[in-house]
Amino acid sequence: MANLQHIRRRIKSVKNIQKITNAMDMIARSRFNAARDALLSNVPYVAKTKEIMRRVMSQMRGQEYEHPFIKTRDELIAEQQEGAGKFLFIVIASDKGLAGSFASNVFKSAHDTIEYDGTEASTSLDDDGDDENFHKKNFDALKGIKPAGKRTPKQQRQMTATGSVAKAAARQGGADSRTNVSVAREYNDAAYIDGIELITVGRKATTHFKQRGYNIIKSYHGISERPQYKYAKEITDLVMERFASGEIIDVTLIYTQFKSAISCVPDDVTLLPIVTDDYAKASANLKEEYIYEPDVVSLLDKFMPRRIATRIYGAMLHSAASELSSRMNAMSNATDNAQELVGRLNLFYNKVRQAGITNEINEIVGGANALE
Amino acid sequence: MATILLEVATPDKGEVYAKDINMLITRSIVGELGILPKHANLLTELIPHAMRIKEGGGETKLFISGGFMEVTPDKITILADAAEIPDDIDVERAKSAYQRANERVTAYKQSPKAHEDIDIDRAEAALARAKARLLVKGVHMG
Repeated sequence: MANLQHIRRRIKSVKNIQKITNAMDMIARSRFNAARDALLSNVPYVAKTKEIMRRVMSQMRGQEYEHPFIKTRDELIAEQQEGAGKFLFIVIASDKGLAGSFASNVFKSAHDTIEYDGTEASTSLDDDGDDENFHKKNFDALKGIKPAGKRTPKQQRQMTATGSVAKAAARQGGADSRTNVSVAREYNDAAYIDGIELITVGRKATTHFKQRGYNIIKSYHGISERPQYKYAKEITDLVMERFASGEIIDVTLIYTQFKSAISCVPDDVTLLPIVTDDYAKASANLKEEYIYEPDVVSLLDKFMPRRIATRIYGAMLHSAASELSSRMNAMSNATDNAQELVGRLNLFYNKVRQAGITNEINEIVGGANALE
Repeated sequence: MATILLEVATPDKGEVYAKDINMLITRSIVGELGILPKHANLLTELIPHAMRIKEGGGETKLFISGGFMEVTPDKITILADAAEIPDDIDVERAKSAYQRANERVTAYKQSPKAHEDIDIDRAEAALARAKARLLVKGVHMG
């Protein structure tokens, strides 16, 4: 027979946990409101920067204009064929756990993007021909190119991938290579980890990628719930500097897009280089000339960092709102579950108690009968 | 009277200003600009200043702490680091900021060697911002 005292103790501990989850739910809720307001106030600014960028870029297309950050896809391919530059990924996740699958969803998407080898369908949210998701497009464009002499990092990556896929296929008796894609994602695959640099926002992201041997050049902790523009600017400065010096040739941002309180989807966005080919659609209906004061090069030099910092800041805000809403959901589920558990334990407790009483009555009756 | 839509957005306050106006007088890094409806397409960078907006016969001022301006024939979009309407500006705070920045700039100008710790670009930017803020409130400083 279960001990009454044990059950009582268990009910108490479940109730205590419930109090904690409930408090965390409420904290997350109030912080979420602040984060959502911050996000909503940022949205028009981001949209307008994007609009201007798109308009200017569509003007750029086809013009004799050289800028280190703006390339046509052909130039990009040529550069990557000979290039020794690395790929940089900015991963934005959370500092703390207890937010359901928030962080692990980001990591899953990050691994999908970082270790993309062209075998999977793109999972990105928007593919409407603007500047959102070029990493995979750029990579798909590279697939058709045969390595000339030196191998590019991405082609090296592909080689490694095929290598392990082949190994796995041999092991599993030549199954469809598509099913073995996960084998390509051996985290300690030194060959391509070498060609990758990471900037992480959030303690969870840092720990996750450090454990897997990635080269983290910078990490930000303690800002995931309340992002500030200055950190986005710092990241931008670092990224622009490394890009300008040729150390990195591709910058991709991975974050969680906040769509609604119940839907937060990981997304990846290419920040650099800006590939003009993808503005083709937009340029078709825009023919007007622009006046640039003082001139287009110095203006773009100033505008581009702004655009990138804005996107990083926007992504941080999206991520913060997503994190808090995930935590809210996780914690309110936990509170509900605790409630249910307490109910069940109470029922069990009463049953046991009643069984004890019945037992005692039986014993008394039995004892009385024995005396007669 | 012809009008043009003016929209001012900042990263953390969203859309600060959105109205049909008659004329905008603003200051870019190359000089003062007057924008009227049906202006040609233009993209330029703005410096910290008090922007003058003419609408319906009156004139309002708006503080802009630098940013970018895009003009199309029927719309002006300003992306500012910060933008404040007169009611949002704290005169006392702006005055003390002005004094602080002014002291630093004068000290540096008198003897640049003795004040190497002063970041003159930052001090001058702060001075320009404080000046512009006060101007929006109608307070003129030297």
